[in-house]
Amino acid sequence: MSYAYLFKYIIIGDTGVGKSCLLLQFTDKRFQPVHDLTIGVEFGARMITIDGKQIKLQIWDTAGQEAFRSITRSYYRGAAGALLVYDITRRETFNHLTTWLEDARQHSNSNMVIMLIGNKSDLESRREVKKEEGEAFAHEHGLIFMETSAKTAANVEEAFINTAKEIYEKIQEGVFDINNEANGIKVGPQHSPTNPSLSPNGQDRGQGGGCC
Amino acid sequence: MFNKVRSALYNVVGGVEALPAVAEGEDQSRLRVPKFPYARPHFLLFQQDEVQVSADHQIRPIIVPRDITKVPWQSGYAETVNAGKSEWNEDQACVQQRLLVRESEKHIPGAGMPYTYFALFDGHAGYGAAVAAANQLHNVVHKKLMEVIDHILPPLELGNTGAHGHIESSTPRGMAMWYPEKPLPADVFISGALELAFNEMDALIGEDKRKYIMKGGCTAVVSLFIAGKVFVANAGDSRAVRCSLSKPYPMSNDFTPSTERRRLQQLAAHKPELLSNNFTHLEYNPRPGRALMGRKILYRDVFMTGWAYKICSPEDLRTPVVTGEGKRSRLLATIGVTRGLGDHELRSIIHNTPIKPFLSSQAEVKLYNIEAHNIHDTDVLVMGTDGLWDVTNNEKTAEIVQNSLTNFPFGDQENSKYRFTSAAQDLVMHSRGKPEGHNWQTSDGAPGTIDDISVFVIPLAAYKREWEAWKQQNEKLRQSKASDQISSKSAQTAQSSTNRYPASANLSNMDGWFPSLDGKTPTTHQNGGTPANVPVEVGVPHLNVSDLPLAEISLEAEEVMAPEDTPSRNVETIDSEEGLTPTIGSSIPENGDKDNTDPSSTNYCER
Repeated sequence: MSYAYLFKYIIIGDTGVGKSCLLLQFTDKRFQPVHDLTIGVEFGARMITIDGKQIKLQIWDTAGQEAFRSITRSYYRGAAGALLVYDITRRETFNHLTTWLEDARQHSNSNMVIMLIGNKSDLESRREVKKEEGEAFAHEHGLIFMETSAKTAANVEEAFINTAKEIYEKIQEGVFDINNEANGIKVGPQHSPTNPSLSPNGQDRGQGGGCC
Repeated sequence: MFNKVRSALYNVVGGVEALPAVAEGEDQSRLRVPKFPYARPHFLLFQQDEVQVSADHQIRPIIVPRDITKVPWQSGYAETVNAGKSEWNEDQACVQQRLLVRESEKHIPGAGMPYTYFALFDGHAGYGAAVAAANQLHNVVHKKLMEVIDHILPPLELGNTGAHGHIESSTPRGMAMWYPEKPLPADVFISGALELAFNEMDALIGEDKRKYIMKGGCTAVVSLFIAGKVFVANAGDSRAVRCSLSKPYPMSNDFTPSTERRRLQQLAAHKPELLSNNFTHLEYNPRPGRALMGRKILYRDVFMTGWAYKICSPEDLRTPVVTGEGKRSRLLATIGVTRGLGDHELRSIIHNTPIKPFLSSQAEVKLYNIEAHNIHDTDVLVMGTDGLWDVTNNEKTAEIVQNSLTNFPFGDQENSKYRFTSAAQDLVMHSRGKPEGHNWQTSDGAPGTIDDISVFVIPLAAYKREWEAWKQQNEKLRQSKASDQISSKSAQTAQSSTNRYPASANLSNMDGWFPSLDGKTPTTHQNGGTPANVPVEVGVPHLNVSDLPLAEISLEAEEVMAPEDTPSRNVETIDSEEGLTPTIGSSIPENGDKDNTDPSSTNYCER
């Protein structure tokens, strides 16, 4: 299926916070209570629509384990968006956010949109991190924030789509250089300004070909 | 005639892919298509989308199987794509678990010997040959093993050997005393099957290249876990190394122009017509240029280990068969690997000389007797394509594996199943390194490889446990069959003397077949045993039975074939030709190159 833009996301955060479950809920609309440890990196993809435009999200789900940290770092490069996830029922996953954020800022491109996600909002009774704390952290570091539940699907769509909206806005503002794939954005084959022959308007341009 | 017209037409039209060699009468209208589509290894369960993402040359993600139950024994696998030298990852991999079972015994629960196959193929000049080998070589190996099943696994009932009920000697009775056949251990038949399979796979690719779009060639390294041992067959510069307690023990040799210099020069010297006078088999130090004409130059011929002088003549200015040193050495100034599958169309960059007879598909087989050794839980067989070994040497590999495994101790019930996957990933990570600007750099600050990397990390202890459990179960099965037999056919004893199997009184005793020779590896080596940590090469020199004194061979063979209490002089060798050919036809599934569905196999190939 054709798309106007492809956005590359990366999901990061401590092991067991629900990164893979968020991805599965978003791409397959299902919840898997027992999920295997992610060892390397896994991929998911889904098409969404923003402003009437088809946007393909290509999501890289990474391993949270400390042992894999150096491998995970090499995936930051070339991501337009990051979902930084913690578990609201485990305080230590919230405490580690600073380290994750430093890592992300250091290894990604500076325009990467980061969405902070407090996952497992369905487990209210076991909550260890208040929603306000999440909001405060996000505010302090200039992140977007949401609490989600990969189990009930609450806010999962929104988390992925709001991140895409933010990226889309940055494109409109000209913040992202969309011709540089290292920014994690790819212009769809039918919309590529550098490929006029494939443009949907190509046939209207006549023999002279288009000029951009 | 029509062919001529058509090729003339194509020449005029131009821009159309070179015509395949089409025989007269063959379907002329057929356009060539790939025999197998490009894919990643079957056990990764990749969708088309993921195939695309995994080929990201900027990020070079390290891919591991998402469902590790798709790889036997929770073995590790990891791969990464090159940094842009080819569009796709040209490495391929395959894993199979199959059952070696006679057609006549298929209905018996528990009959047959399970074996496990791991293979890596490093493609070059296109992915066609590597993909073809990954889809087919295991089927060829299975077919070849089935052809010698009587030498690997005795039938459950002695009166029911093979398809005919018994096996006859190929040697007429009267001739037997002049040309006695010696009983050979199962090992030589397994390595023979592997060697034949490589050869046949290469021929098959050669045929298919004329019918389909199938580009390039590939190296091949296969490990076959069978009969309590692991057999490693290698053709090319991929490598298998056994790692035990942080120490590496090579299980294969690399075949490159520099390691095979002697073979290549000898072939060139003995068959100069292959080079049509464009290359020279001589070696020079340094290679002479025009300026040295008429002056003394250092050289050596194929029969020399030392060096000598000669006067430089125009002939000495030809390109040597092998140029360059080490990793940069080239055969006919073109290719850096000297064994593998495919490349039938490959010609040298200069002079357009066919490379194929120099580039050989011959496999070298080495084995390690897992059953006979003390195996630690952290002992593994690492298989890797040259992308791994270019950066990470054997010693470092053993060290990385040991470190990785300690991250997932066995006590950790939940996560220990990931330990070998993690080790494979760490090995790929070490050779790939991290992106530094436009380059890749390892953690030691050295340049990372820009090549494709693929790695298996296979736990030996898991196979040993599986093998021992099978042996016990099989012994029970034999005991029950033997008691059936004794009660029903008490008059069968006479027949055992015409049988090639160990004439042990106790039919269920498998020791003659799967001997536990503690520390000793049964082969045809003259000294009978090998140092514990040296893999035994079952290559040609040791197998050339006719060159060895017969007495020694038979002694060795007895040790392998029959338990001590067996009157082994009664063991009569029986042929393979006559007795086995019918078995082949009836028991080999017709799965050669068409599909992978073999009812006897637990097929890991589900896509």
